[in-house]
Amino acid sequence: MVTIYSTNTCAYCIMAKDYFKEKGVEFVEKNVQMDHDAAKEMVEKTHQLGVPVIDINGTIILGFDREAIDKALVN
Amino acid sequence: MYDLIIIGGGPAGVAAGVYASRKKLNALLLTKDFGGQAVASAKIENFIGHTVITGLELAKVLEGQLRAQQNIEIKDGISVTAVAKSDGGFVVTDSKGETYRTKTVLMTLGSAYKHLDVPGEKEYSGKGVFYCSTCDAPLMQGKVAVVIGGGNSGLEAARDLLPFASKIYVLEYAPTLKGDAVTQEMLRKEANVEIIANAETKEIFGVDFVQGLKYEDRTSGAEKLIHAEGIFVAIGMRPNSDVVKGLVDMTSFGNIVVDHKTMQTSVKGIWAAGDITDGSYNQINMAIGEAIKAVLNIHEHLFTGEV
Repeated sequence: MVTIYSTNTCAYCIMAKDYFKEKGVEFVEKNVQMDHDAAKEMVEKTHQLGVPVIDINGTIILGFDREAIDKALVN
Repeated sequence: MYDLIIIGGGPAGVAAGVYASRKKLNALLLTKDFGGQAVASAKIENFIGHTVITGLELAKVLEGQLRAQQNIEIKDGISVTAVAKSDGGFVVTDSKGETYRTKTVLMTLGSAYKHLDVPGEKEYSGKGVFYCSTCDAPLMQGKVAVVIGGGNSGLEAARDLLPFASKIYVLEYAPTLKGDAVTQEMLRKEANVEIIANAETKEIFGVDFVQGLKYEDRTSGAEKLIHAEGIFVAIGMRPNSDVVKGLVDMTSFGNIVVDHKTMQTSVKGIWAAGDITDGSYNQINMAIGEAIKAVLNIHEHLFTGEV
């Protein structure tokens, strides 16, 4: 399961979502700007305040890092 | 063997790719992503040809134009780990361990956010210390934020924070702000923006997450505290030149020294363009012009057999 935590104006979040779409990877987007529960969940689960934070089956990736995403998807 | 390998997919790299293709050079472009650091800009209003464009739109326009070229090979999603001299040219190695041989190299890796290098910065990175204001300003709803740096990127970070933060401090090391007068005027009219000049950041502190920072008032020498939940570091950029460290001449800041007439580095066969060089003004428009200059010079060299 892939979850991406995002804000409205975050370009790297859009790039990450586009990348998942391009690869045909299904993901859930949680907008931490609009949804306070999602913001709380992001902080509790990942101990991060900055976006994008991507959770790929428990592997937490900070920022848009294609190599890290590819590696986590293979695992 | 390639005629040219372009390393980097920002505005300079893409411009180089387009020109290399039109000159029918046997060229390869290696990049992690397209658009470079401009991607994170909410609004670019000085890119000539577009009245207003977002960084992300610009990245897509650039990638689209590059992919529309007939004669260029593109490998993206990888980074370059080594550039070394070899017989008759260079060997470039990527992060997947693949190697490529080429007659010439053009470095267009641009720059990345400069760090403060004070205690607490690394520890609280992503936990209240931020470098991308368009990404993380929305998380400052009703909170106190500090922007470190009074240049254009700092003032833009303050502008990005305006709709969210309850209070915004802008700390500048120098006695005056360097950012554009238009943005300064706009920020000075805002009641919740406080600009503090002559401030040297000493430490970022917190528990689990950022709680504030200590700075020295450089006029009085007094140490002062600001309690804040977000610290946006915008003190400029550092060149992404590590991969050619020791190979080409650089300034003490790591900017590649080039001949500004040709964009050639100290090593024959290696050129550089854009923010990675020792040029005076870091602008998208300039990076594009420099990269084109480089490719035309590279073409001349390959054509006359001088490389």
